Amino acid sequence: MGTVGLKSVQKSFGDTTIVEQLDLDFPDGSFTVLVGPSGCGKSTTLRMIAGLESVSGGTITINGKDVTHLEPRDRNIAMVFQNYALYPHLTVLENIAFPLRATKIPREAARQRAQEIADSLGLGHLTHRKPKELSGGQQQRVAIGRAIIREPAVFLFDEPLSNLDAKLRVETRSELLAIQRRLGVTSIYVTHDQEEAMTLSDRMVVMREGKIAQVGTPSEVYSSPTNVFVATFVGSPKMNILPGVLEDSTFTIESGHSWSLPHAHAGSVFVGLRPEDLLLVPDDRGHAVIEQIELLGPRAVVALRLSGVKLVSVVEAAELASLAVGKAVTVTFRPESTHLFDGDTEERVPTQVLQREG
Amino acid sequence: MSSRTLMSALRGAFLISALAAVLFPLTWVTLASFKTPQQLNDPSLIVFQPSLINWSYVFEAGILQAAGRSAFVAGITVLISAIVGSAAAYVISTYKAGGSATRFGILAAQVLPPAVLVFPFLTLAYVLRVNDTLIPLIFAHLSFVLPVVTWFLIGFFDSVPRSLEEQARVDGFTRFKAFLLVVLPQVYPGLGAAVIFGFTLSWNDMFYGLILTPSKSAILPVAIAGFNTFRGVELGSMSAAILVAVVPVVIASFFIQKRLVQGISGGAVKY
Repeated sequence: MGTVGLKSVQKSFGDTTIVEQLDLDFPDGSFTVLVGPSGCGKSTTLRMIAGLESVSGGTITINGKDVTHLEPRDRNIAMVFQNYALYPHLTVLENIAFPLRATKIPREAARQRAQEIADSLGLGHLTHRKPKELSGGQQQRVAIGRAIIREPAVFLFDEPLSNLDAKLRVETRSELLAIQRRLGVTSIYVTHDQEEAMTLSDRMVVMREGKIAQVGTPSEVYSSPTNVFVATFVGSPKMNILPGVLEDSTFTIESGHSWSLPHAHAGSVFVGLRPEDLLLVPDDRGHAVIEQIELLGPRAVVALRLSGVKLVSVVEAAELASLAVGKAVTVTFRPESTHLFDGDTEERVPTQVLQREG
Repeated sequence: MSSRTLMSALRGAFLISALAAVLFPLTWVTLASFKTPQQLNDPSLIVFQPSLINWSYVFEAGILQAAGRSAFVAGITVLISAIVGSAAAYVISTYKAGGSATRFGILAAQVLPPAVLVFPFLTLAYVLRVNDTLIPLIFAHLSFVLPVVTWFLIGFFDSVPRSLEEQARVDGFTRFKAFLLVVLPQVYPGLGAAVIFGFTLSWNDMFYGLILTPSKSAILPVAIAGFNTFRGVELGSMSAAILVAVVPVVIASFFIQKRLVQGISGGAVKY
C-alpha cells in the first residue's frame, strides 16, 4: 500500500526545463495516468519517481517518507518498461523471481511464489522458456509478474502497451486493470495514448510542455476540458475548434456564418464541439460541403469543409442514407453541447450556458 | 563461360592461393620438426622416415616450462584485462565516460612503438628488484592487452539496452549488482572472444619478453628465439618449438572467429 507525493518537483538539463514545478498527490490504491504528447515530461516525471532520473528541485515522498535522493532499490517500487526489459539470459520463472534475489527470501520459497504468479497470469506452462521464445503479449505478462512479486508500494508503468498490436493492446489493457484492482496497489501509468488514459485511469493528468494542463477523472476531463489543448488532445476524433466572435448570444465565424449561442460571455472566442455533437442537416443551400466519409461499422466519421474551416462529425450509420461526398449540409449544434474558450488565453470560459427561454 | 562462373572460378583461385600461402610455411615447419639435421639439408624432401629427435631435444631444453610461463603471463594479463576492461567498457558505452573521444582514444597507446615503453618498464623492474621475473612482463602486456580488450567490449555493451540495468536497479539491486547479474551476462560471448583474443596478443608477444625476461624466466617466443644460436639456427628444434606456440592459437582462433569479426566491427554484426 502506498501514497506518492510530488511537491514542486522540477527537472532541467542546463537551461532546458523538462518538468516545471509539479505538484501532485497519488492516493493509496489509485490508478493515475500521466498523458500528453511526446516531450511533455511525463516519462521524465515517472523516472524521477522511480529514482532513475535525478531531481533538480522539489521533493518526492512515498508513504510520507522523503525519497527524493534515494536509490531506486530503496523506494519499494516496481516498474514495467516499454520494452519490458526482461532479462534475456534467465527463464520466465527466474525473471519473475529475480527481484526476490535482492531480499532475504530463500530461493525455494522465491521459486514457489514465482510459480504461483506465473500460474495466475496464465504463464504456468511457459516457466522454462527464455523471453525471446515468448510472444509480445506473454513477455508483457512476465514483466507484470516480475513487478507484482515484490508487493511494492507503487507500480510504475512506462508505456507498457505500446509495443503490442492493437487487438492485444485492448485485451492486455483490461487484464492490467483487473490485476491492479485485485491487488489495489497505487499505480502510475505513462502513455501518449489518450484512449488508454481514458479507459484505465481513476484520474488522468494531462501534461503539456512540462506542466500540468488538467487533472481530473476521465469523464471530467472529457466533459469539461480546461483549455483548447486538453479539449483537442482528449477524445477521438478530436474536438472541432471554431474561432469566432460571441456577441449578443450570437456566435459568428470569420466567413460570416452565425449560430445562436445564448451565453453571457462576449468577445473573441473558440467554440469547441465534439464530433458527435455536430449535427448535419442535408440542405442544398447548406454552407458546408462533405469531403469524406469513413464508415466505422455502426457509425461513420464525416469530414466537412465550412468555408475554409475543416470540421469532423460522427453520425449514426443510419443517417448516412441522406449524406454523400460533395453534398451540401447545414451544420448545427445544441448550445448546451458547446465548449467555450477565451479567444486570447485559450482557457475555458466558466460561465454556464444560459437556459433557453420557453 | 558466363561472368558468374568466371567470378566463382576467380574466387576459388584466390582462396586456394591464400590457403597455400598460410599452409605452406605451417606444413614446412611441421615436416621440419620431424627431420633429422641431415634430412633438413634437403628442403624438398617430403617422404622420409620421421624422427622425434627434435621433439625430445626441445622438451629437454624446457620448452614446456617456457610455454607454461607464457600461459601464466597471458592468463593473469587477460584475467585483469577482463575484470577491469569489462567495467571500463560498460561505463564508456553507457555513460559516455570521458566523452566520445575515449571510445577510440583508448587505443591511442597502441600507436606508440613498444620500444618507447620497454625502457621505463625495465628500469622500474630493476629498481623494484623484480627484473627477469614475470611481474614486469605482466604489466607490460597489460599496457596493450587491456586497451584492446576494453575497446573490443564497448561494441558488445552498446547492444545491451539501458533499461536492463535500470530494471535491475528498480528490482532492488545496486548499480554494481545490476551490472554483474544482468548486464554482464548479455556480453558473455563477446567477453569470451575478448579473453581469447587478449590471451593470443600476450602469448604472441616477443619484444617485451626478450628484454624483460631474457634468461631464467624466458617465455615461449624468447625460448624459440633461443634456438638461433652462435653455431647457427637449429632449424629442426626451432620448428618443433614453433609448433608448440602456434597450435593453441590456431585452435583458439577457430573457435572465436565469428565473435572476433563482431568485436572488431563494433558489435555491428548480429549473430
